[in-house]
Formats: sequence, C-alpha cells, structure tokens
Amino acid sequence: MIDVKNLYKKFGTNEVLSDISTAVTKGEVVSIIGPSGSGKSTFLRCLNLLETPTSGTIEINGKSLTASKNNIHKIRQQIGMVFQHFHLFPHLTVLENLTYAPMKAKGVKKAVAETKARILLERVGLSEKEEAYPNSLSGGQKQRVAIARALAMEPELMLFDEPTSALDPEMVKEVLDVMKDLAKSGMTMVVVTHEMGFAREVADRVLFLDHGVLVEEGQPAEFFSNPKTERAKDFLDKVL
Amino acid sequence: MNLDFSQIIPYIPFMLEGIWATLKFVFFAIILGAILGTLLALFKIGSIKPLRWFAGAYTSIFRGTPLILQLMIIYYSTPQLTGYDISAFLSAILAFGLNSSAYISEIIRAGIQAVDKGQMEAAQALGVPYRSMMKDIILPQALKNILPALMNEFITLTKESAIVSTIGYLDLMRRAQVVGSDLFRNFEPLLFVGLIYWCMVMGLTMIGRVFERRLKQSD
Repeated sequence: MIDVKNLYKKFGTNEVLSDISTAVTKGEVVSIIGPSGSGKSTFLRCLNLLETPTSGTIEINGKSLTASKNNIHKIRQQIGMVFQHFHLFPHLTVLENLTYAPMKAKGVKKAVAETKARILLERVGLSEKEEAYPNSLSGGQKQRVAIARALAMEPELMLFDEPTSALDPEMVKEVLDVMKDLAKSGMTMVVVTHEMGFAREVADRVLFLDHGVLVEEGQPAEFFSNPKTERAKDFLDKVL
Repeated sequence: MNLDFSQIIPYIPFMLEGIWATLKFVFFAIILGAILGTLLALFKIGSIKPLRWFAGAYTSIFRGTPLILQLMIIYYSTPQLTGYDISAFLSAILAFGLNSSAYISEIIRAGIQAVDKGQMEAAQALGVPYRSMMKDIILPQALKNILPALMNEFITLTKESAIVSTIGYLDLMRRAQVVGSDLFRNFEPLLFVGLIYWCMVMGLTMIGRVFERRLKQSD
C-alpha cells in the first residue's frame, strides 16, 4: 500500500531523513518511535506530501506521490491525517468539520455527508456534540472529532502524528481506544507516537528512527523485549 | 462670538444631499478596494513570482504617493491621455478604491499569515482544493482577526473622501464650502458637515461591532 524508497529530506543543509526505505501493507498498523528530532514526524508528513521529499520515491497504491502528473488532492483524499494539535476548523461546528471536506473535495451531497458524519460521531462517542464549536471541547474530544473528520473522507490509510502528545494524561485513553478500535476494523495505520504501550499492544510492526535514519524495525514483542541495536536499547531504557 | 446657525437653515437640504453624494462613491470605493485588496493579498502569499512582484510594486506605488495626487492624476490626465472625459464620480471611485486596495491587501495578507499554519495543513491533508480552502477555511478566520483593522481602513476612507472636493465633486465637504462662500460664514456649515461625518463614522463603527459579534459566535 505504501512503498517508500531511498527517501531523503533536507532542510537547508540539515539532513532530517536519510535514505529511508520501507513498505506498509494493507491493514497493517505501523508505529514509528524514536527520540525528539529524529525525523519521525517529517517522515509521516512526507507520506501525504505536507513535506516535499528532497529525493527518493513514495508510492501509495502504486501511484507516485512525487510525480507531478498525479493529482495530489485526489491522492490525499485517500489518506487521512490526525495532527498533534488537532487543527479542527474553529469557525465550523463539529458536524460541519466532518461534512466540509467530503462535500467540497468529493462533491458528496449534504444529506449524505451528514448521515455519514453522525455515524462517525457515534463511533467516537460524541453524538451529542454535533452542534458544538471545537473551542468548547476538551482535548480528548477534539482529537476524537479530528479522527472522525479524517474518517469522513473514507480514507484507505490513516496517518497519526503524535495524536496524544498534546493531551492531558486522563484523556489519552479515550483517544487510544478509538485508535485501537480503528486498528481492529482493519484500517491501515501509520502512527508516530510516544505511547510505547500502544506501539507494543496494537502495532504489527515498529520502526525506530534516530537522527533521520531508520535504525531498526521489527515486531513489537521482539523489538521491545530484545532490541537488536545499541541505540534502540538506549532509547528503550530511557522511556520504559 | 459671532455664531448664527439660523443662517444655514435654508442650505440644510442642499448639504444633506451631500451625504448621499459622499456615501455613493465611498460605497463603491470600499467594494472595489475590498475585492482588489483580497486579490492582491492572495497574489502576495501565492507562489507565482510575477504576481507577487506586481502586488508588491502596486502597494509600494499606491502607499508611497499622496492620495490627492492619485486622484488628480486620474481626473486630469485620463482625458489628456485617452480623450475619455472621466467624471469626478468615477475618478473618485477609482482613486479611493485603488488606493484603499493597497492598504487592504496588507491588512488581509497579515491576517492570512496569522491564521495557524495547521489550518492550511489540515485542509490540504483532507484533499480540499486551494480555492475552497482559502475561501471557506483561511479567509473567514483571517477576517475575524483583521476586522478591527479593516473597519479602521473603511473609516479612514470615509473621512478622507472629503478630498474629492478638490476636483469639484459635490460631496459633503464641497457643499459646506459652497454654502460658506455663499454666506461669507464658514464655521457654521463646516461644523454642520463635521457632525454629519462623525455620525457616518459612528454608523460604520456600529456595523463593525455587529459583524465582530457575529464572528465571535464560535469562541
């Protein structure tokens, strides 16, 4: 589903990602972990071209992201993204946040979009909030709305950029629960996270990045109990 | 003190007509300024170099020279250059609209850039086309931030509109001068139209507050 080959990203002379190659298959849940500044978020943002790679190729469902002939809007519609700071549209109600993109980008009829949105809000447990504005929601509620908003586009792939890092501790669980539920439903997910519990429990595979290099990847059980590299061992000692 | 307001009474209808004369071209100038200003702002933040350069040069010229000069150039040189006998009314709309758009474009540009970058990323990530994103997501949020500055610009424009009296357009200001020279008394008619200008600006201020309140709905 995702095929990344020899991905490099430089900001000026600063090399943030260095020769990353990996693939994600359909239905797989991949966690990306690593210290701050290791390039995890940049890597994730390259996957829907919020960052433009300096070199290398990324293919989503066999379509190259970087080839200019492909319509980036169309490809992005298949990729949902959840941000650390939610980025809900503050001037729209919760329901409008969910219906806006399907209506504008895919031309879905309003009534159809609203029905779909209500089902999704129920799924994330926020049915009673559809008329509320984002500023009146708690962090955990905002993030659940953000997940529902991404799902409203019916994506084949979901990217999560530290979805629980900006939340109060007691709200982390409600968001993780939604994500677990999503993983169970067979969604392909790439999750940048500091939640080692989630990575261990839910992910099918863990990628460990450090200084822009993909240092190690493997099954969570294997990776967490028996990391192969010194750097991964070091990192896990500090966070676990 | 030699004040006698009774003398201007016969001239009051004549001066009141000036309200309409002023409002008429100020209204069109604001519309022109807002549309052109928005376009210029989009040029400025866009990625097309020639358009960016054009918007920059445009702002530099219209902000860098006096408004009264721009007005006179448009009114006096259009017939000379093109043979078209431009009316004072049209000259006024053009001069004020073009001038105001330079200021408005700067206000809007700053407003757009002050919108959280994440808003744009979220819209992009959802596959929303650039046009819709600007129109539905970015500009409404920018508008909320810049409304006070925008109202300020409209108020300035309304007051500075008095400059059109210099090209003989019978606006409020010009009418006060006409009455003044008719009566050989200037203070009373000037004070009278001064009061009218103040009322118009108060009206604008009130409209601005209503808008602000409506936009604050989501807070």
